[in-house]
Amino acid sequence: MITNQESAIEHGKCMLNRREFLLYSGAATAATSTITLFQGTAQAQEARVVAYPRRLIARLSDLHDNEPFDFNYPDDGKNSQCMLVKMGIESGGGVGEQKDIVAFSYLCTHQGGPLQSTYKVTDEQRTIGQCPFHLSVYDLRRHGIIVSGQAYQSLPQVMLELEGDNIYAVGMMGLLFGRNQNLIGV
Amino acid sequence: MSTNYYLPEDNVPLPPKHAEVLTTCCDYCIVACAYKVYRWPIGSGDGGTKANENAFGIEFPSSPLEDWVAPAQHNVVMYKNIPHNVVITPNKDTTTVNTNGDSSMRGGLIAQKCYNPKTPTRDRLTTPLVRIFGTLQPVPWDFALDIAAEVAKHVIAKHGANAYSMKTYSYQFIENTYAVTKFALRHINTASFTFHDTPSDVTSTPGFRDAGFDNFGPSYDDWSSAEVLMCCGTDPYETKTILFTQHIMKGIQKGMKMIMINPRETAGVAYVKKMGGLHLDLFPGTDTVLLGAIARIIVENGWEDKEWIKNWVNNQWESNSGFGQGTRNTPWQWRTTWGKFQTKGFEDYKKWLLSQPEYELEAAAELTGVDVAKIKRAAEWIAKPKEDGTRPKTSFGIEKGFYWSNNTGNTNAISSLATICGAGGRDGQVVGRFGGHQRGGRRGGGLPRNKSPEKVPGRRRRALDTDRWLISGHTRFAHVVGTTWIQAMSGSQGLQQKFQELVVNNPNQVRSYDKQEIINSLKARADSGGMVVINQDIYLRNPIGAQFADIIFPAATWGEEDFMRANGERRLRLYQKFYDAPGDARPDWWIIAQLAKKMGFDGFDWQNSNDVAEESSRFSRGGRKAFHMVKVYAHKHGRTLHEQLRLLGADGIQGPTFINDKGELKGTKRLHNTEMTPEMVKEHYGKNGPGGANMVNKKMTHFNTQTGKINLQRHPWSLFSDFWTWMKPKNEELWFSNGRINEVWQSGFDDVQRRPYITQRWPENFLELHPDDAKIRGIESGDYVMIYSDRVAAHKDTILGVGGDDFQFSKLMENGHIELSKAAVTAVAIVTPHIKKGVMYAMFIDMRQPTNALSARVVDQISGNYNYKMGVAKVKKLGESKYKTEFRSMSFAPRNIA
Repeated sequence: MITNQESAIEHGKCMLNRREFLLYSGAATAATSTITLFQGTAQAQEARVVAYPRRLIARLSDLHDNEPFDFNYPDDGKNSQCMLVKMGIESGGGVGEQKDIVAFSYLCTHQGGPLQSTYKVTDEQRTIGQCPFHLSVYDLRRHGIIVSGQAYQSLPQVMLELEGDNIYAVGMMGLLFGRNQNLIGV
Repeated sequence: MSTNYYLPEDNVPLPPKHAEVLTTCCDYCIVACAYKVYRWPIGSGDGGTKANENAFGIEFPSSPLEDWVAPAQHNVVMYKNIPHNVVITPNKDTTTVNTNGDSSMRGGLIAQKCYNPKTPTRDRLTTPLVRIFGTLQPVPWDFALDIAAEVAKHVIAKHGANAYSMKTYSYQFIENTYAVTKFALRHINTASFTFHDTPSDVTSTPGFRDAGFDNFGPSYDDWSSAEVLMCCGTDPYETKTILFTQHIMKGIQKGMKMIMINPRETAGVAYVKKMGGLHLDLFPGTDTVLLGAIARIIVENGWEDKEWIKNWVNNQWESNSGFGQGTRNTPWQWRTTWGKFQTKGFEDYKKWLLSQPEYELEAAAELTGVDVAKIKRAAEWIAKPKEDGTRPKTSFGIEKGFYWSNNTGNTNAISSLATICGAGGRDGQVVGRFGGHQRGGRRGGGLPRNKSPEKVPGRRRRALDTDRWLISGHTRFAHVVGTTWIQAMSGSQGLQQKFQELVVNNPNQVRSYDKQEIINSLKARADSGGMVVINQDIYLRNPIGAQFADIIFPAATWGEEDFMRANGERRLRLYQKFYDAPGDARPDWWIIAQLAKKMGFDGFDWQNSNDVAEESSRFSRGGRKAFHMVKVYAHKHGRTLHEQLRLLGADGIQGPTFINDKGELKGTKRLHNTEMTPEMVKEHYGKNGPGGANMVNKKMTHFNTQTGKINLQRHPWSLFSDFWTWMKPKNEELWFSNGRINEVWQSGFDDVQRRPYITQRWPENFLELHPDDAKIRGIESGDYVMIYSDRVAAHKDTILGVGGDDFQFSKLMENGHIELSKAAVTAVAIVTPHIKKGVMYAMFIDMRQPTNALSARVVDQISGNYNYKMGVAKVKKLGESKYKTEFRSMSFAPRNIA
């Protein structure tokens, strides 16, 4: 339910840019084909974009490599538990000098299993899982794509912005487990 | 979702209160999880987040393990020509199979299987096609059927029934397989007939067959109730997920120890290890040796189950004097003609086992590449009596990595090992297959084996090898139903070359607008030694449809017709129709019926799929999924068979089925149930035993042999060792094996090719390579590699075996029946420690990079099955793929993170 059409459209423009960045940025160069991908569907995209809050979630100076930091997003309601982590290696959608700071939902997209305490470093890989319910593992360097497991979609990735020392959550890629839309009560 | 690009969505419609709810099951793996289809017309209003506003009756956001709808679980379909929303989610009401409403990601995403022109399903076949002037062009049904029928009749009349080759799925619903087999076996009566996964119509597990074990005797409960579970040649987590997550995992959590025999360490193996289990990481094809060594330790220590052996193993008299499997003409009888397998009972088996040098511990460790200590531990776990004298309860499950490596040797070895450990038909002590496809086969005719020109030494003919028959130029008409034929077989690039020669390179091509001229061209092709191809499928497959088919019939599938099928515990359910098939697509039974009628065959006047199911039921009697009594029960209550199954809902009923003397319909939890009590018999069949149309045979309480006891068999390595030694990597070669990957079902026709998320996860075939093997070849994750070989062995001739070893690989080679060819497949490298050093692994049937090209096209000399998992190849870097530097697709993280 979009309650403020004006702001949603405005926000949508910004969100589209974020999406392009997140989905099509490579380690080497950003893809140049993003415009055609959205051709003819831009209206639909805008109509579906909802106004995510911009939330200050952490300070860069407080983060340590590979130590997840917990926060809630996009609200403090049910199924909003998320993790922020500075992974020390460039990653899809990462912010910061190394493009290594990413954030994800903690709820497995299979059946909502809790992924807390399952973040792992294996050589240059960064993963979360196995989920205690049904063993799904996600690749945090690659937008939370499934490595092995039963998930119905990638782990929802929280879009971040870095402003000085402040890290803001500004949006969410993918639907949170248990919700029919990410933004509720707005 | 109009592109193959995965764009994560952040909202989804909930089914409203007024949504209709239908039950079905997943179309994919053997487990067949129960699902619910919620259907409501577009624009009729979606559900709300309050419990009284949606069809689930729960509050949203929902809690973990509760109902939820992922965006990919919603689709839009046409139902009675009106667009409807459908949401397809795991059924939370079921008390069996996927208890808790669990699902794999394959089934979880099945809503995307439905035809919707806005999605990558838009290329479904919607009309019959005939290749005219080189292009497959849409035509009406009658036009295509007339041509097919005329050419088929001509080929049979002029070249004999065996010139008509039928290659079909064995599993895609009882109604269809019954129609296909009735047509091909009963009416055409061709010996050139086989299923999707084997070149000839033979048993997949000869060792089980000969020991007396049904492939699917156990119930899913049984797999969690052992103390030790030995799992051979599969990671059930990856390939039959819910059997693992809802059954095996629960057993492990209660303390069941698991032994995984597998060259790879995937997620399920990693979990097993984490929980204290054992991973025996062997080299491909060495299972017989590994199991032989384990069996040897057991008999050396006297850990065998003496009581079980005394009661349930055939002695010499029982085995040899005509009471083992019968005196004449049984597969077991001819397979044992040369005295290679049969024993006189346990003592004789023991003597033989101890005389086999390969099964000495050190020798076996060397050959298999498995640590001595681990082999010993496995033997102790599965058989060593506890301090109080009681035995560990051990179960044994196998699947294709095992039985498609050394088909006869491996299945004989596991049958004997399981038997000496006391497994078979008891609680916590079962033997079986875990399964691949669902069980949707129902034969409407028998294979005319005596029309096969193939004969092995001994008395009996062998089922005709359809690949070799084709390669030899005897196939004039190839009828392919729902399989790729080519990529699904071994040494597939050589097979494809032969199709090209017989079909495309033949001068007789259709270059006319006139039906009779078209028919004449195709007849001329067959008469000139070429081949005509017709193909029934839901998508145009390459190359069988796209390059070779002269006629394509568009098939309707899952969700587009009422169908019935069983799963890996013989559980029968109705798969309900819930939307309109696209265009003119029709179910395979209907296509076959029209073709049969045009060819002048009688008995194909079915009006609907229930008619077919009801006709087929009596042929199911005595079988493991006998459903005849469901029909009898249904008719007694004024219902059809399909209606009765619909009422049985998500839990269905386990075959074989019975009606007891109270008139109740009863299923069967376990076959070979050696613990069945008189009370249970009474409950099932009635106090006076089976009556009426009930049919009870010995597989209910005994094993599938003449005596009902188990044949304890030898499992000689020597039958296979010459092939294995020839295959063994030389110089820069590595073992090359292939199989499934969790995220993809089968050839990927639904998921890899038509599900944006899976396309993103697995955009291309991959090659798993151990870091040490990769390093010396300069290969990194994300590099494009060429996997290639110049010694792919192919058995090219249809021969008559006379001498005892005529089909032994070294003899075939010596006599010039083996042809060596080149093969090459590209892939993206994944350098990972989860694969054994010296072994490579890829997905088995990616259409663009078909890895079966590199496995030997040489069948198991006893059974006639391919050993698909056995290949060797070299690998070299071609360059870098884009996946190496971008983050949006693929993943190079190892699969053994636990």
